[in-house]
Amino acid sequence: MTDQIAIHTEGLTKHYGDVHALVDLDLDIRSGEIFGFLGPNGAGKTTMIRTILDEIRPTAGTASILGMDSHKQSVEIRRHIGYVPGDLAMYPNLTGRDTLTYFANLRGGVDWSYVDELAERFDADLSKKVGDLSSGNRQKIGIIQAFMNRPETLIMDEPSNGLDPLMQREFQSLMRGVAANGSTIFLSSHTLSEVQRVADRVGIIRHGHLIALEAVTSLRSKGIRKVDLFFDEPVDAEVFGPLPGVRDVTVENHHVTLSFSGQMETLLKVVTEKYRLLDITTQEADLEEIFLTFYRDEEEAQA
Amino acid sequence: MMLANVFTKTTRDRWKAPVIAVASLALLFLFGMMTYRDIDLSVYTNLPDYFKQLFGISDDADVASLAYGAILSGYGALTVTAIALTMGAATFAGEERDRTIGLLLGNPKSRTSVLISKAAAMVVLTAAMTLVLWVVGLVTPEILDVSIAGMHVGALMFHLLAISLFFGFLALAIGAWTGSPGVAAGATAGVLFVSFMGAGLFPLVEGFEDLAKAFPWYYFNASKPESNGIDWGHIGVLAAGIGVFSGAAVVGVNRRDLKDQAAGVSLIDRLRDHPLTHKVADRLAGSTRVSRIWIKTASEHQGLLFVVALLMFGFMGVMLGPMYLLIDDAMATLAEAFSPELLSLFGGGDMSTPEGWYQIETFGMMAPIAVMVVTVAVGARALAGEEARNTMGLLLANPVKRSTVIYQKTVAMAIFAFTVGFATFAGVVGGSLLGNLGMSIGNIAATSLLVTLLGLAYGGLALALGAATGRTRIATFGTTGLALITFVANGLLPYSENLSGLVKWQPFYYYLSSDPLMNGMHWGHGAALAGLFVVLLALSVLLFNRRDLRQTG
Repeated sequence: MTDQIAIHTEGLTKHYGDVHALVDLDLDIRSGEIFGFLGPNGAGKTTMIRTILDEIRPTAGTASILGMDSHKQSVEIRRHIGYVPGDLAMYPNLTGRDTLTYFANLRGGVDWSYVDELAERFDADLSKKVGDLSSGNRQKIGIIQAFMNRPETLIMDEPSNGLDPLMQREFQSLMRGVAANGSTIFLSSHTLSEVQRVADRVGIIRHGHLIALEAVTSLRSKGIRKVDLFFDEPVDAEVFGPLPGVRDVTVENHHVTLSFSGQMETLLKVVTEKYRLLDITTQEADLEEIFLTFYRDEEEAQA
Repeated sequence: MMLANVFTKTTRDRWKAPVIAVASLALLFLFGMMTYRDIDLSVYTNLPDYFKQLFGISDDADVASLAYGAILSGYGALTVTAIALTMGAATFAGEERDRTIGLLLGNPKSRTSVLISKAAAMVVLTAAMTLVLWVVGLVTPEILDVSIAGMHVGALMFHLLAISLFFGFLALAIGAWTGSPGVAAGATAGVLFVSFMGAGLFPLVEGFEDLAKAFPWYYFNASKPESNGIDWGHIGVLAAGIGVFSGAAVVGVNRRDLKDQAAGVSLIDRLRDHPLTHKVADRLAGSTRVSRIWIKTASEHQGLLFVVALLMFGFMGVMLGPMYLLIDDAMATLAEAFSPELLSLFGGGDMSTPEGWYQIETFGMMAPIAVMVVTVAVGARALAGEEARNTMGLLLANPVKRSTVIYQKTVAMAIFAFTVGFATFAGVVGGSLLGNLGMSIGNIAATSLLVTLLGLAYGGLALALGAATGRTRIATFGTTGLALITFVANGLLPYSENLSGLVKWQPFYYYLSSDPLMNGMHWGHGAALAGLFVVLLALSVLLFNRRDLRQTG
């Protein structure tokens, strides 16, 4: 990873009539970084990608890729990128190999031994017509087409849709390898585990607003922990709810589960004053819980 | 058996084309009747019987019967039938192409009931079209104060309903058996074309008049329902056909595997599979087909081009030469009976000369339709088609300009137009040689070139509409509607006292008004058509560059 900026947006905004699909987005993706772009369906992920690729034009703001303006220099930009669109569609009457040849002819610089290597890696059948392939197998062709000219920047919109777990793993290792060689990867996803495994940083978007931008490691170190407490008698949920840093309390007789951020000492102090604590286990929260936490904060802020 | 919601959804999905068609036809009818009202009709009543029969003019020809004959039972019938045909083709097979059939049949409903509900939507929409046209046919004369005494407008509309449902159900049956809306629409359109031509041509050939009865179109208007009322025998023939097709559709749809694949099998795929042609075809279909955007675009419509070019070459070209010799000698004396202005109303042409014969049969209407079918198909889908299929984003992720995509697709469109133009040229030259008609090859080439440019102008319009809206339906129906209106306007405007100057403001004027089959190439007119095409192309680039790409689904 270097300090150079691969993707840059400034006040990027897209309205569809009254719908504000993307609002004032400022984002810098560094070269060689794997950036995970997270958000629920309809949050604005695809709008952002289509805007920086000049498929649609921003209502306000600008974007640049590899230092080039996303609109004025869009053709030059596209020499250096690979793209997997969301809801990938290709030409049903072409075989996988025909499809790749078509795009290779438009793009140039495709090394066919690399294509074959990728096809083998993903166990992709290039001789069948794309229309005859299952959606997962079609997705493989889409992924190969994005990687085949070894682009400097890869922009992918939910690329692992339809891939089986083995293939998802293979895809993740491909992304890591490519990033290690200096390529930048912009990965939009709602599959948190995937982002957790590969991304260096994540941005979280909701209702067109970027609501968080963090390194994956620092998200983890926010110290949100999942805590299980066991008592010798049934306990009252009311006791735990109002405590600072405590969320998601569920009580089942003697057993309490909650997520907690803050000093463990304060939690234990309050708890042990009221009840006899028999056992406690804690573990680091995964991205999913962090993610849900962000959304709740946002919702509370709006309410 | 009827599924109300399937019926409602199908009706809701498909109401636009019928509404646009009926609105255009109503305008045409009003316009036509106004024009007929303004001209001296004695020229019609003095026509030889033979000619009157050919063009559906009754003996006591008046304003009303001319308007009904030319507009409603001519263009109107073809339009309504074509729409019923498209609906029929897409009935069941359309859901398979869209891969929605699995979802639909995931509900506890039988294939038969889905088929019936969708067919009912087709019947209702077709009936609604004829009903509205009926009202138009009754109200327009009232407004214009034209007498329609003795006319059976309702009978004409009933015949129209029968013939359009006949072809609608034929398309439905083929779609039900093959699962391919393209095959269903294409095959049925082919049958419609042959039937229309056969029913029109055979009555002209002495000794073969009865052969016309082999063609379904005969049962639509041979009995002159607008003058003579409903012919129940003829309706019975069409109804029997509809019955057979519906039965076949029910059987077909229940006996086969549902299609779950969007990929079709093209001619080149078959050649690719055959050991003899494998090597060449593989190179053509594989590496060559995808080497350029325009080659790939051309390969996608190869089937359509092949059929249209073949029809123009064989049926409308070569075959008509010898046929001219078979026509009743009475035709030769027709020339004296009426003015050349009058003849131009029927596509222009004097049947007593081979040039006039070819002008009426081939160049007047069929050649423009043929070239436009291919240019509009390519033009309307060039941009909007890729957007509808969500492939435009992927295509434009490559380092190509939006304008490059347009230019490349235009190359494919131009090649298609010139191929059909050349097939027409070669066919007519062949027919002229075969019948020893002695037509000028240079003039045939000029006319073919002009029709090619005319087709390109309308293809350019389809391209521009697609570039502006990203919607294939708007591009296709908008262009088709305008082509229909301008075609009829071109035939009628010169006879209107006040509006005759307007005729130069539409493309058809620059095609045949210089009579190129007799006089050779009119370069000024050719340049006007080419200029219009270039302007529309430039407009397409401008519109497409400014716009957000559509994303569907």
